[in-house]
Amino acid sequence: MRNQPLTLPEKPKSKMKLTKRMIALVAILLIYIWTFSSISIRWESVFSVRTLENIDRIIPKFFQPAFEETDTIVEMMIETIFIAYTGSLAAAIIAVPLAFLCASNMVKNKWLNNAGMWILGAVRAFPEIVLAIIFVAAVGPNPFAGVLAIAIGSTGMLGKLFSEVLESIDMNVVEALESSGANKLQILFLALCHRSCLNFYPMRSIDLKLMSVLLLYSEL
Amino acid sequence: MIEFRELSLIYPNGTEGLRNINIKINEGGEFVVIVGLSGAGKSTFIRSINRLVTPTNGALLVENEDILKLKGKDLRRLRTKIGMIFQSYNLVKRSTVIKNVISGRLGYTGTFKSILNIFSKEDKLLAYENLKRVNIEEKLYNRADELSGGQQQRVSIARVLTQKPKLILADEPVASLDPPTSHQVMKYLKQINQEDNITTIVNLHFIDMAME
Repeated sequence: MRNQPLTLPEKPKSKMKLTKRMIALVAILLIYIWTFSSISIRWESVFSVRTLENIDRIIPKFFQPAFEETDTIVEMMIETIFIAYTGSLAAAIIAVPLAFLCASNMVKNKWLNNAGMWILGAVRAFPEIVLAIIFVAAVGPNPFAGVLAIAIGSTGMLGKLFSEVLESIDMNVVEALESSGANKLQILFLALCHRSCLNFYPMRSIDLKLMSVLLLYSEL
Repeated sequence: MIEFRELSLIYPNGTEGLRNINIKINEGGEFVVIVGLSGAGKSTFIRSINRLVTPTNGALLVENEDILKLKGKDLRRLRTKIGMIFQSYNLVKRSTVIKNVISGRLGYTGTFKSILNIFSKEDKLLAYENLKRVNIEEKLYNRADELSGGQQQRVSIARVLTQKPKLILADEPVASLDPPTSHQVMKYLKQINQEDNITTIVNLHFIDMAME
């Protein structure tokens, strides 16, 4: 039986796939070359005496807190938390419909799925700082600009997170509930929402959002 | 009465699920067992009855109504009358047993109420009574995934009972259970079939179990 040496049947190769990969690789390489050739970092000014002087000027200030400003600082801290919280809440609401659009087991249309992915991807591509600058120009330098920036900025990430949660639903359970005559909304809530998920997910990244609000403040 | 008339089903990928099936199943407590190899079309047959799959040709009559054209609300109304038991139990694993059982009432409960998890006292008692019938009432508040396979299948029987169906479909209910547990589950199905006069259609791939 074992006279012939065992050989693995050849894996079917698709030329299309290979070409696609090659094109992507070349494109990425070109982008990198373009980027590095067009930025002009002046290394001599990075490693200079002035840099050292600046560091020496700024770092000691970290260790001299201004206690006389405590009132304003506490007020600002509370405001920061409120901004982060309100922004997250708004993002959680905006993210839900987009997440449904992206989840391939909820919307069974590849084009719509892709459209959703592109929207979320585009939103994620904007850093919150950039959004903040846009909104400050639009509504002025006040907390509302921060809320808007956080809301839009977090929508991308939360939408992605939600859509992945949706895609991980046990479709067997969906089938079972469907077979008992439940409607779509009932299935969704029963198969997906176990007490905490809805208020928990947006709060997962509240620390990150606090940080970005702080960054926004320091920018303005 | 369930009547298949020249029923055929071809899946989108070209696989033939059913070909010209003609059969009549009387209501009023029949216990029908379908035996066949994997891939013979047993599941397709049984899933056609509650339209989890939609046959492409012919007619399927449940209580003298062609169910192939049903949509939306009418389809859900049909499904509330037909309970289904699955090979892999299909319980919401992270929910409690009682919550799983009471989900059999979803088809009769308003959307808003069920989202807020408000079920009537009668529904809750019905769920509890059905858990008692399959002798698993002490696991009431356990999470579904803490139970063994046989226990989970009994919970899914209780869920189906809570639906108060006129017909029970069981798609390979014991395929992933060991022989003694299988017998126990089949015993409950048989018992319910006789006591409540619910027509039951069961898919099996063991001839010897079907003979019993």
